[in-house]
Amino acid sequence: MNIQEIAAEIQSRWNNEIKLSTIAGTLECRCHREHLVPLCGWLFNRLNCHFAGLTAEELPDRWNLDYLFTPAGESGIIRINTAAPLKERNFPSISIAVHAADWHEREAEDLFGLTFEGHPRLGDFILHDDAWQEGVEPMRENFSAADVLSGRNPKPDWRPRRILKAPGAFIMPVGPVFSGEAESVHFQLETIGEEVLRAFPRLFFKYRGVEKLAEGRSVDNGLLLAERFAGSTAFSHALAFSMAIEKLSGEEVPPRAEVLRVFMAELERLRHHLGVIEGICSSTGLAVGTGQCAILEEEALRISGALTGHRYLFGLCIPGGLSRDFDKTALKSAAERATDIVRRMNSIEKLLINTSSFLDRLEEVGAVTEKQAHDFGLAGPVARASGYSCDTRKQLPYGAYRNFDFDSPHEREGDGYARLRLFFAEVRESGRIMEQAAEKLPPGKTAVPCNPDAGTAISTAETPRGATWHRIRIGTDGKIKRYRLITPSFANWHGFHIAAENFAFQDFPIILATFGLSVAENDR
Amino acid sequence: MSRWVIKGIRTGIVTTRYPEKKEETPGTSPGLPEQVTGIAPENRETESRCPTGALSREKNRLNLRQERCIHCFRCSRGTENPIPWKNGFEWAEIRNPEAVVPASLRHSLHIRVVDAGDCGACLNEIKLLNNPYYNMHRLGFFITPTPRQADILLVAGPVAEHMKTPLLKAYEAMPAPKRVMAVGACALNGGVFGPGFVTGSGVADILPVDIEIPGCPPPPLAILHGLCLIAGQLKNEPNAATGTRKGEK
Amino acid sequence: MPGIETLLIGTLSLYTAGIAAAFLLPKEKTPVLPALFGGTGSLLLLFTGIKSFLPPETFHAALWTVPGIGTLTVSIDTLSAFFLVVTAIAAIPASVFAATRLKQTRWQHPEVAAALYLGLLISLTIVIIASHVFLFLIAWESMSIIIYLLISSDNNERPGYLMLSIGEAGTLAITAAFLLLSANTGSLSFAIIKTGAASLGPGVQWAVFLLVFFGFSVKGGLIPLNFWMPGAYTAAPAAFIPLIAGATLNMALYGIIRVTGSLLPIPHAGPGIIMLIVGSATALIGILYATIEDDFKTLLAHSSIENAGIIIAALGAGSVFLAKGHLAAASIAFAAALYHLLNHSVFKTLLFMGAGAVEDKTGTRSLDRMGGLLKHMPWTGLFVLIGALSIAAMPPFNGFVSEWLTLQALLRSVELSSPGIKLAFVAAGVGLTLTAGLAVTCFVRAFAMGFLGMSRSDSASAAKETGKPALLSMAGLAVFCLALGILPTYVIPALNKTIRPLTGASATTALVPGFFRPQGKLPEAFVNDFHKLGAQIGKNSMPGRGLAVLHRGGTKNPVVFAMSTFYMFITLIILLGLTAGLVRLFAGRRRKIRQPRWDGGVRKLLPEMTYTATGFAHPVRVIFESILRPKVVERKDTIAEHFRVTIRQKRNEIHLIDRMVLNPLDSAAHRIARTLAKMHNGRINTYAGYALLALIVFLAIASII
Ligand code: SF4
Repeated sequence: MNIQEIAAEIQSRWNNEIKLSTIAGTLECRCHREHLVPLCGWLFNRLNCHFAGLTAEELPDRWNLDYLFTPAGESGIIRINTAAPLKERNFPSISIAVHAADWHEREAEDLFGLTFEGHPRLGDFILHDDAWQEGVEPMRENFSAADVLSGRNPKPDWRPRRILKAPGAFIMPVGPVFSGEAESVHFQLETIGEEVLRAFPRLFFKYRGVEKLAEGRSVDNGLLLAERFAGSTAFSHALAFSMAIEKLSGEEVPPRAEVLRVFMAELERLRHHLGVIEGICSSTGLAVGTGQCAILEEEALRISGALTGHRYLFGLCIPGGLSRDFDKTALKSAAERATDIVRRMNSIEKLLINTSSFLDRLEEVGAVTEKQAHDFGLAGPVARASGYSCDTRKQLPYGAYRNFDFDSPHEREGDGYARLRLFFAEVRESGRIMEQAAEKLPPGKTAVPCNPDAGTAISTAETPRGATWHRIRIGTDGKIKRYRLITPSFANWHGFHIAAENFAFQDFPIILATFGLSVAENDR
Repeated sequence: MSRWVIKGIRTGIVTTRYPEKKEETPGTSPGLPEQVTGIAPENRETESRCPTGALSREKNRLNLRQERCIHCFRCSRGTENPIPWKNGFEWAEIRNPEAVVPASLRHSLHIRVVDAGDCGACLNEIKLLNNPYYNMHRLGFFITPTPRQADILLVAGPVAEHMKTPLLKAYEAMPAPKRVMAVGACALNGGVFGPGFVTGSGVADILPVDIEIPGCPPPPLAILHGLCLIAGQLKNEPNAATGTRKGEK
Repeated sequence: MPGIETLLIGTLSLYTAGIAAAFLLPKEKTPVLPALFGGTGSLLLLFTGIKSFLPPETFHAALWTVPGIGTLTVSIDTLSAFFLVVTAIAAIPASVFAATRLKQTRWQHPEVAAALYLGLLISLTIVIIASHVFLFLIAWESMSIIIYLLISSDNNERPGYLMLSIGEAGTLAITAAFLLLSANTGSLSFAIIKTGAASLGPGVQWAVFLLVFFGFSVKGGLIPLNFWMPGAYTAAPAAFIPLIAGATLNMALYGIIRVTGSLLPIPHAGPGIIMLIVGSATALIGILYATIEDDFKTLLAHSSIENAGIIIAALGAGSVFLAKGHLAAASIAFAAALYHLLNHSVFKTLLFMGAGAVEDKTGTRSLDRMGGLLKHMPWTGLFVLIGALSIAAMPPFNGFVSEWLTLQALLRSVELSSPGIKLAFVAAGVGLTLTAGLAVTCFVRAFAMGFLGMSRSDSASAAKETGKPALLSMAGLAVFCLALGILPTYVIPALNKTIRPLTGASATTALVPGFFRPQGKLPEAFVNDFHKLGAQIGKNSMPGRGLAVLHRGGTKNPVVFAMSTFYMFITLIILLGLTAGLVRLFAGRRRKIRQPRWDGGVRKLLPEMTYTATGFAHPVRVIFESILRPKVVERKDTIAEHFRVTIRQKRNEIHLIDRMVLNPLDSAAHRIARTLAKMHNGRINTYAGYALLALIVFLAIASII
């Protein structure tokens, strides 16, 4: 069903009780709280729409909640909007029907103090209960981001939630400081010995309050946050941020900049995926494979550094275009070097899939089904490895992607090996896209000045880990009023535990590595 | 397996010769803005573009506080008076000279990395120290999973509120003498995040920092330089071999 | 020193006086009686045993004559003497311990319990010294019944019934065996049976052996007749279990040795092989179940099964050697068996006391719910540690010596010629080695999960040290553990007095060769053999003594395995002292910092984040899955498909013996009962039909004959 059909169906089902409007491919449905659960459940379960995320917002007079869906296999965005007076804090929870909304509701509960009625599990999410007292609601308007909170009074008798009821069951704690140079996250592995029955990640050790910090900042300073909250995918997030600002300013980005952006985004994807493949090799203890992939990763970083000045493409993407221009020959040679990397990666892949000791540890490990991918709203390569298609570059083509010939690879099995194959396939596609971009680079400017008007804009971009959604509201003073970051890692961490059930302890790093997760991107 | 061995041998040695030889391969470092003189005192456009206050004015001279710079390129791109850029990476500065490792022990140092809220870039660069290109093992640096055996606590990130306790615990678990190395702009002064309601303004807030490595993120070579400094393998002086000069403070 | 007779009468009258006092004194006074009368009586018993060792003559006394049965006699040979000593060593501290428990636990009838306890001591003594079938059986039976009464004083009756019923089957078999013997020798007196036994036909010998082995196996806890033991030991009150586990198990072994070793030594290898195989299998299965057990007492019960298995295996090896004429090897094996028996009594009594003290203070026997007890019960912890190290066969403690000897004895099977027997020895050796390995796992786990780490329950974190008398009795046994460990060269000559009559050879010459002594005297040829190998025997030998087991593969290539736990102990002390001294020297004046464990930086390490005993044993469970055959029941509850609420998992492990022997028997019995029930349909015609049928069958049989 495409957007129009969905709109018609909603109209007939809900008897005009839901106000609909379609603006630029976005179907907006304004509904009362009581229609929220049936409407969202219908979209999610009957139409198999993808749930992208929830944005809560405190406006001067009301709470404003936006639920974002994308229709299955069709282009377009469905935005369900509901509002309530500020003194009312109770909203119905859609998580029972739309499981993908689970963490979004928990986040809003934790940071805004909203209550989602019917949600089976609220509290102790972003602000850890063993570190903060109840009643801290940092995303509220009256809470200042400059305040350094004092007077902590955490619950002294905090206990981790355990679901494994078995004689002799215990929790194997992992982290937050663990492994060699892992990102900070804590895992509770519930086990009765070597076999782990369930691995539950406790996140937000790295919560830096980016969404709150952005409030009141200028667009330029907001960009710094967008770029640097998840440095390994900086360009994609800066791109999504810039696109939202561009929407508000009404400026057209010059075609040269659009093509360059595609080039850079794919360079970032290539580099990121090589890092993930390296991580998978090292999680299985394959030293030579790890070293070989690490060489490629470093070379991709050097290409980025030599070409743009920064190894992680910081400071490159700005609203209106790019901060600098590139020489076509330099771009071409960079694309050639990237192709060389792909070629060498292919030979490593051949070696890897002929190494049975390596494959044995990946096959049938950490499997996720397509239905689970949908139900948890998984994103990016993790979802695509289970056959769940969710590539924004294809579904909501942005920038110059429309003009490129590329595939969005898919796998079916959803296990660790499928994810590995997918990462390889995507690197190859990225190489192809970069070649095309270097080839068809149009002449012209690389940036236009960009001054956003007040208002709200949503943009989405396919980061290496999957789709990100940036929703920005600019106030009349030109400052950011609300900045909502929906990241692919947030969705994939939510679904991580389905892959991490009933496994042997030594498989844990492997499952983790094949998910290619970022804690920084999740924790914000 | 043998094919892997052959593959490894075929690849040959890619490792940098730094610190014996200078390393100038393009793309190994983002570099830093250079100190410039001769800018009219009333022309404050460039410095006002700097979002972190890394550029400070002294009459007609524009100084760089390298620990604040986040390589946003705003002072060099899209402006009338772009600041010249200089390559290099030897930015590390020792804060506590007593922390330098005595000669007998400088070729075996164990490092516990703590991610105190970094964005993933610093951590990736730290991970790359094990990369064949940099291979810090050849200099006797090893990453250890437990702080119990660590000589150096390497901290990245602005110290997010939730990471304070783990960071302190890791520090306490280290055997004396403890050395703390702050890596990246965030760890030095909070970067673009801190200080805020859940972020500090760097590691120095809660731990005595012995050596600082500026950069956002500092490239592997910059971290390696810092490690060599704290290990006493390099002197904190302009390095004759590389010809680069450490930043002014 | 007074004569044996005086001592023995003193012992028994003290016990009897205790029983009388139990019923005469007021209830509040009765709990001390076991300590007062049992303890002093057992002390006299110890002297009786030692005294009977000294002049190796048999004490013999006729009691009274019963018409139709003959003169009841008692006698103490060196075998009895050895068991008297072992019993006394366990009984003295056990009596003190029993008194402390009786005082603390609320008993409805402490006087009955105290009387039963003393009665048990009497029956134990008489079992050992009886030299007449009738007296032996009476004592044996009263021992069984008293244990049953002691166990069933709890409200859980099933273990007691199980023990009694299977025990009666055992007694029946023993009675049958003795009747067979006396029918063939014409007397119920041991002395006459012994002289007449040699002339028995092989059929009768086999029958007697099998009946006796079956009968005593029941009490001894050998497979497949040990299914009653874990339940009974767990149900037994903490006051009595040290004595039951430490002394009455030995009675079964005494019975087996008395019959197969002394009364009726069978001149072929068959019985020995059976004992070897059954013993090692028992040991392996016992320790396997002990390793995965969560209940501390049940764990110890399984470990008793294991140790009985080891002893029987060593005995079996000894009788094979004996039957094949390898007298020295047989002596080594018997020495190993008796040594281990003694050791087991000591450390098992100790461990059961520890378990009792822990249960008393924490209210739980579940290792999963303990943890961190060392902080609260340091002395109990120390003694349990010594017991655990001993039972896990760690040098320099006693378990090491006897297990080393057992394995060495098995290795001497190279001297045997029959490949079949060798194969049995290899199988047993493999089984026992695996057992030894698992025993370490088992007791590392038992101690670590009980006493180290964090307390995993409130009751564990509130535990207090147990009382002084209980600690004192544990301390005594712990000292024995060490002494028996480091002074084997003094113990073996004493054991030798028991062994020599059984094998006709001396274990001392085989095991404690002179060359460990400075003025060693060795046969010239022997020394020359070793000199060819380059060994400097008799020249630079050190003072002190060690154990050696000699293997002569051929005259040309003798191999000697030598070991001195005494030197090991000295070295250990020196090393520890040296380390401590060096630390003090170099870091003595430095500031010492104690830091908490590294926990990955979690805000607070909670007890539920540490290993449980069940978790610790899980790898063993997985490895031996094919033996344990767990039935895993898992249920996952969710809300709205994806919100996990609970995962319930239960693992049911039916004991191998229950699964393979008891349950099929049980269901067969039920089936038969059901079929029989069908026949009993209550109609008179049917019964008439049965009668007719029976008559026809009878007539048919009669006509054929
Ligand atoms: S690069 Fe950015 S942070 Fe660094 S000095 Fe220039 S403007 Fe300031």
